[in-house]
Amino acid sequence: MLQYQTPLLVASFALYLVAFLGYLMRRPEPGMVLLWPRVCLSLGFLSHSVCLVIRWLEAGYLPVTNLFSTQFFFSWCLVLVFLYFEYRYRIGSSGLFVVAVNLLLLGVALPRDPAIPVLIPNLDTPLFTLHIVFSFLGYALFTMAFSLGVLYLARQLGMQRLLELRQLRKLNEEAIFLGFCMFTLCMIAGCIWAYIAWGYYFSWNIKSLWSLIVWLFYAGMCHAKFIRRWQGTGYALLSIAGFAVVLFTYLGIGLLLESNHPLD
Amino acid sequence: MSRNNSLFSRTWQLFCSLKLAIVLASLITLLAIYGSLVIHGHPALFGNLDQLSLRSWARQLPTGTLIMTWWLSAAGLLLILFSLNTLCCFIDWALHVRARWRKSGEYLIHLGVILLAVAFAWGSWAGVRSDRQRVYLHEKVPVPGMPGHELIVDAVEPVMNQQGRPLDMLNQVRLVKGDQLLAAEQVRINHPLSYQDLVVVPVSFGQEAQGYECFMPGLGQLQLIRGARIELDNGKILRVQGFYADATRIANGEVVQQSSQLQNPALLLDLSGPGIPAWRGWYFLREQLPFQLVANGIRFWPVTPIFNTYTVLTINYDPGADLALAGGSLLLIGTLLTLASFYRKRRANDRPEV
Ligand code: HEM
Repeated sequence: MLQYQTPLLVASFALYLVAFLGYLMRRPEPGMVLLWPRVCLSLGFLSHSVCLVIRWLEAGYLPVTNLFSTQFFFSWCLVLVFLYFEYRYRIGSSGLFVVAVNLLLLGVALPRDPAIPVLIPNLDTPLFTLHIVFSFLGYALFTMAFSLGVLYLARQLGMQRLLELRQLRKLNEEAIFLGFCMFTLCMIAGCIWAYIAWGYYFSWNIKSLWSLIVWLFYAGMCHAKFIRRWQGTGYALLSIAGFAVVLFTYLGIGLLLESNHPLD
Repeated sequence: MSRNNSLFSRTWQLFCSLKLAIVLASLITLLAIYGSLVIHGHPALFGNLDQLSLRSWARQLPTGTLIMTWWLSAAGLLLILFSLNTLCCFIDWALHVRARWRKSGEYLIHLGVILLAVAFAWGSWAGVRSDRQRVYLHEKVPVPGMPGHELIVDAVEPVMNQQGRPLDMLNQVRLVKGDQLLAAEQVRINHPLSYQDLVVVPVSFGQEAQGYECFMPGLGQLQLIRGARIELDNGKILRVQGFYADATRIANGEVVQQSSQLQNPALLLDLSGPGIPAWRGWYFLREQLPFQLVANGIRFWPVTPIFNTYTVLTINYDPGADLALAGGSLLLIGTLLTLASFYRKRRANDRPEV
């Protein structure tokens, strides 16, 4: 079955690209559905999901243990989040940034070796799988919040054919809240796993510290939306700052500093 | 009285305030960002933070390091205030629970956070960590923080991959108190022994030479390990007083251990008996037998090293661990409840506006 994974992934990439260009070139009035980019994206996601299931079945575990698999999985989470907002709220081109990040990730992953690595005993626990799945779902939702935050500011500056400010604000708050919940679940799984693997549930390792920082930051944001002065522009700015913290936690630490969560 | 009351109510309101929570959370976040960079820049100072409880770590800090560590105390103080803030918020909700029961999810999250903060503080204060402790087979190891409790490793079995690289180690571990068996577990990666506040996780394993099997004409194979006693003819007795796997003689003639690798093995021997002067000295196995042994008619040859298997375990005692688990469970349930009720509350526009 594994021989199908590359054609499936290439097909997903092509469909995502067509959808991206579709949303980019034909920005409809807010609330109107642009059918064929949505169909392309859904078909791409279907093929991406089939590929994920094949890899999962072949490996006997959810393969998220090396750089290729994490890029592959993160890009799947991004499309999932986009489709959720698209089917529920018809965000269309307002979520374009998420599709762009997805294309970038998949584009970088495609030339890599898709071979499934042998599962080492350290990672052979459902806690690891839960930790990764929820962290990427959280990151994907924070990416969506960033995109909506930027659009909120753009809309304020007069950019047309975007969702209403009120709607953008509401969706941004939802993305932050859902992302925070996912990240909380990721932290819980991570803490229990750390306890059974290392004998303590909180590590002072830089990656763990920054995960706590991400969690605290978004916990703060879950409350900031109740404060009138922070609603709207302030919240959009916070979403952008939060995404910078996420980027540093996911990429910066792995690339710039040494940690126990290396990138490959 | 009323002045007191108003002071109390103002303090109460302050500690129930969402704005204070946001200010504190922001300050803690900023301090943590700063602290993470300080930690990263000073591995010599902070490198063993995970290996010790926070209190033991703070105690072993050299003087004059406050400039690098002040932020930890500041963050601790802010965390206490933040936990108090969360607690007041929780109590405030609990006092009005009849009207606000729909927010149970949110407030379970808050209670979970409080329990986690208390558990962490308790574990940091009263916990004891014994990181990467070498434990030999059948040796009784006292458990840190739990007087009278001992760990015994009965067997260690390495698991190798096809290339012969170690993948895992299966440790058969018992926890005893006197003669009473409290727990027995096969400890391997991701499968610790946990008993009350104790957790035992495997780190690594190895073998260490502890002596040599030697051949002596007339007596055959002898196990020369520390403590061995060999009765020779005419009442002479040869004792093994020590063994170094990698010994060297330093300038003042003293013999010291260089490493635990089997490079230059040496036995510290002791010869005594009727009519001979007592002798004690080192026999470097790569060299000739010492003259005093040969002169007394003692000859033997090293045949093969004797190894002792050991395992490396992290043995941590954390009295806050159960509370942390309770906090984590509340956090989990609270998060799921909050998620489940999010859309209904949004539809009803049920949210505080400050
Ligand atoms: C790390 C600590 C904290 C976490 C993780 C946390 C988490 C949360 C979450 C997830 C929500 C739900 C947000 C939503 O419905 O969109 C919430 C609501 C809330 N939190 Fe916290 N919180 C924390 C600390 C605090 C503190 C210190 C206060 C004290 C004032 C506080 C006061 C509130 C209030 C008033 C609400 C709104 C409840 C409602 O809808 O009526 N929180 N919190």
